[in-house]
Amino acid sequence: MAASAQEKELAQLIVTSLNLEVSADEIEPDAPLYGEGLGLDSIDILELSLAISKTYGVQLKSDDADNNKIFSSLRSLNEHIQQHKAQ
Amino acid sequence: MMRLYVEGIGLLGPGLDGWSASRAVLAGEAAYVAAPTNLRASDMLPAAERRRAGVPIKLALTVGQEAFLQAGRETKSASTVFTSSGGDNDNVHAINGILATAPREVSPTRFHNSVHNAAAGYWCIAAGSHEPSTSLCAYDASFVAGLLESATQVVVDDAVVALVAYDHSYPEPLHSVRPITTSFGAALILTKQQSAKSLAAIEVEFRSGKAPETTMKDEALEDLRKGVPAARVLPLLAALAAAKTTQISIDYLEGNHLDIRVTPC
Repeated sequence: MAASAQEKELAQLIVTSLNLEVSADEIEPDAPLYGEGLGLDSIDILELSLAISKTYGVQLKSDDADNNKIFSSLRSLNEHIQQHKAQ
Repeated sequence: MMRLYVEGIGLLGPGLDGWSASRAVLAGEAAYVAAPTNLRASDMLPAAERRRAGVPIKLALTVGQEAFLQAGRETKSASTVFTSSGGDNDNVHAINGILATAPREVSPTRFHNSVHNAAAGYWCIAAGSHEPSTSLCAYDASFVAGLLESATQVVVDDAVVALVAYDHSYPEPLHSVRPITTSFGAALILTKQQSAKSLAAIEVEFRSGKAPETTMKDEALEDLRKGVPAARVLPLLAALAAAKTTQISIDYLEGNHLDIRVTPC
């Protein structure tokens, strides 16, 4: 399934905040963000959490048991943000 | 007096894009043409580190890589000494800005890059090196402090040492307080034993008290030498480029200085 407008916006935030060498369009919505796939590491995840907090007001905690699921793909991360962001 | 050999040289500064491209300029055989420092992230770095690399990392890795290439040694094979007056000055400015603004959330990448030995960390990842590494600073005498530390390791431990010196400008308002004029880096591969790759012997001697400092003949290169702590290496590089026996003097801390005698191999 193609990326939604919200997913494209989040993909752009990921590229900008992490200074990625790929463009936002190249981030597959269902591909893994961490390790294999986009190749993000633990510092990237912390940096991205800060950018998401500033942009969407959604706090992502390092001790959240659901982190593996939340950060599993662009799509799941976007779903989490949309469910928790300030209305 | 400590005697050591130079096997490889790396250089990156304004109008000085690599040692081989700059040798004739430093020897006074070609005119110096000013140009912005050609900063680039080293292809030695994995992608994640490459995109986090600030100016100091780009300087340090580019000159280190060039020096090792010339020496024909593996990058993971030598001890390293990194020396810089300020480290990552852009990062200091950015973190100060974050800390001055609520909610004071410092970027993990900026925090990661804020330590003075960040260049050493990136180098060891890029080179796959497990060799000892030292990072130091000594204000305007940072290069000399690095040379003294490197020479001691070479002579006492019989270590092969890569000395990497780098500095770059602060953004304002810090620039007005600590004016460093531009981005500059240099690297030397130093050994105790002479080899087929040795370019010159250097005899390094610490001296108490002041002495007239060796300056650069070219006015723009002299401005560069005075304007960037790491560029205090320029008279030594000029002597190496000239490939003739030369005696130079570089200021150290607290009114002391270093005498260096360069003898081509």
